[in-house]
Amino acid sequence: MKKYGLLLLVLMVSLTTVLAGCGGNNAGQGSSANTGANEAGGSNEVNAGSSGEEAVVEDAEPFTVSLRHIQIGDAKKYRKAILDDAVAKAEAEVPGLTFELDGVEDEVNRFTKLPAEMAAGNPPKIFDLFGGEGDALKYANAGRLLDLTPILEELGLADKFLNMGQFTLDGKAYGLPIGGSTEGFFYNKQLFAQYNIEVPTTLEELEQAAETLKSNEVTPMAMGSQAAWVPLMLANTLIGRYAGPESIYGFRDGSAAWNSPEVVAAFAKYKEWVDNGYFTKGELGVTYDAMLNEFLGGKAGMMFDGSWRASAFANPDLVKEITSEDVGYFAMPAVPDGKGDQTAVNGNYSNGYGFSSNLNEQELEAVKAFIKHLYKDDMQVRGLLEDALLPSMKLTDAAASEIEANLEDPVVKQIMGTMNEAGEAFSHFDSVVQSDVYSETEQQIQRLIAGESSPQEVGDALQQAQEAANAN
Amino acid sequence: MRSSLRNPYIYILFVVPTLGLYALFFFYPMLTSVGYGFTDWNGLEETNFIGFANFQQAFADSDFWNAVRNNMVFILFSVGVQVPLIVFFAILISQVRRFQSFYKTTVFVPSILSTAVIGILWGFMYDPEVGIINQFLGLFGVETIYWLADSNWALPAVLVTNAWQWMGFYIVLVLAAILSLPKEINEAASIDGAGGFRRAWYITVPLIKPIISVIVMLSIAGAMRVVDIVLVMTKGGPVGATDVMASYMVNRAIRYGDYGYGTALSIMIFAIALILTALYQLTFGKMRERVEF
Repeated sequence: MKKYGLLLLVLMVSLTTVLAGCGGNNAGQGSSANTGANEAGGSNEVNAGSSGEEAVVEDAEPFTVSLRHIQIGDAKKYRKAILDDAVAKAEAEVPGLTFELDGVEDEVNRFTKLPAEMAAGNPPKIFDLFGGEGDALKYANAGRLLDLTPILEELGLADKFLNMGQFTLDGKAYGLPIGGSTEGFFYNKQLFAQYNIEVPTTLEELEQAAETLKSNEVTPMAMGSQAAWVPLMLANTLIGRYAGPESIYGFRDGSAAWNSPEVVAAFAKYKEWVDNGYFTKGELGVTYDAMLNEFLGGKAGMMFDGSWRASAFANPDLVKEITSEDVGYFAMPAVPDGKGDQTAVNGNYSNGYGFSSNLNEQELEAVKAFIKHLYKDDMQVRGLLEDALLPSMKLTDAAASEIEANLEDPVVKQIMGTMNEAGEAFSHFDSVVQSDVYSETEQQIQRLIAGESSPQEVGDALQQAQEAANAN
Repeated sequence: MRSSLRNPYIYILFVVPTLGLYALFFFYPMLTSVGYGFTDWNGLEETNFIGFANFQQAFADSDFWNAVRNNMVFILFSVGVQVPLIVFFAILISQVRRFQSFYKTTVFVPSILSTAVIGILWGFMYDPEVGIINQFLGLFGVETIYWLADSNWALPAVLVTNAWQWMGFYIVLVLAAILSLPKEINEAASIDGAGGFRRAWYITVPLIKPIISVIVMLSIAGAMRVVDIVLVMTKGGPVGATDVMASYMVNRAIRYGDYGYGTALSIMIFAIALILTALYQLTFGKMRERVEF
């Protein structure tokens, strides 16, 4: 009997120890789960209270809303200032609200962090979001994004956006573009004057300009291809020229093929420029920031980049040899035998903010306040004047004339002028094709640059990926 | 008491809690991830069972095999180049009388730096324009080499950086083994007229064989799981020239959201690791017998 007693005792002790260990674990998990539940449950209580008679509470229950942005670093400080302003106004409007800002580098957020959070189901409440098949529409389809249609109705913003295509699924809005952009050539006026180069209006003139720069030991076009989206900007516009603006949309519905002669011609032109040494040497190891530095340091004559870069030329922390006075802008010239409108330019309304579908009442209020204060005329005007971000919203006459009166940045003026002359605008294919196809384009463009694939092989590989994705 | 300890079930009871925890934190995750390897899980949409499709894809995926090959280069470089150098430097330092601890500390320093720091540091040294390596080579008229941007040079550049980071740690290990050898043997040999090289090759190296075997094993293990230095320095580029298995898997799983395929890749990596372990046991592992002085 005695020995069983002992056995029992030992068992009890060992079990207790184990359970205590497990208990610790459970407590940890439990508390984190509780925080989640509190956010949901607790706030409901608050709301129940606030919807009642004591709606006007002096000091409301403090709560935080996470906000992921990509405005980090010197080149984006103007954009951050605009965001900070909107955040401050929204915080002032909603009692108890504090936004928890979380700045993450653009590419890391878009391609690594946000997708992982979306998969795990715990994205921030408000986050920087790109439009299109690979981003907003994919997440919307999986039910991760908040349907903004009722909020837009409520705030009177429903018809205010110029182009919501990349954020719209089945007629519902799932994200709001913060601005528009176009892509083209920036050039260094000093270097062009020094070597008597005229602003190119034809493809031959452009290539002649590159030859002149090269023979004077200046990099013709700054290029940082370590991240593949950078060379893809130029590739996209070349495709738009050779295969026509419609082709960009045609890959998805099958009316255009990546391995058609026109698209391959675009890749072949790209490859020709690589072989001719028109781009930064060792471009596959050069980052996007280093590409800007090369151009700002006066070491490159041209740079194909997005209009958003214009603000960097006016940023005293970044400029070196040249300032925005010395920078010119022109669109890709027409190409011989190019299909479609040869004056069309790339036009994107693809970057903006999205919102988690997992919001409680209180957080929804915060989101509404955020949208209300960020997406309005004066912020759009500031975006253009301070940050070279083209408006994504239809502006009132007053706002338009304010821009007219105050726009001084010479580069932004040229970009606006170029856009106005353009016949039409075409998207970047990254917002049109599926993410599998897009990731294939990233690999193939680098293979093309490294000389591991011919233009035809690139086209064939992409068409194969496109057909596989369309079949799904 | 005595009889209860004779009862085998008692012992089982004692290990049950541990086994439970082990199953919960090791077997369960492993089994579920094996399960996910047979699905098209992408984190967002409905998960479907797709049989061996992921593995078929992996076997046909030339980029993955390229990453496997790069991993093998890492292993060969560790075992074939690093280990002999480690032994060489350890013997060299063991012969030094003055400032021995200074050398010991110096060679050890890289292994306490974080990989991110080392990657960025060497990134500057490899810089084509201002990097010290190209500037030095330029003195001899060597043309600019785009170390991290050139498919031919990127992998050697990363290999050297990785070797620099870890060699010091192993040198200190080998040094400890050498210094613990009885002095009499070496003295006897030198009285018999053996020179420094002969004493190193015929006496020191055979006596430290067990520790060399351990270092080979650690080097293989280190080279198998190398990923951080690659991600910091090149992100696997240019065009996959420095992609290793782990970086390729992370890219597929996280960046492209192919969790199912990524899991299948991780299972394949596990299988490759098993094969390598077997190979090691059949070769270097046999060297681990005790050496009697």
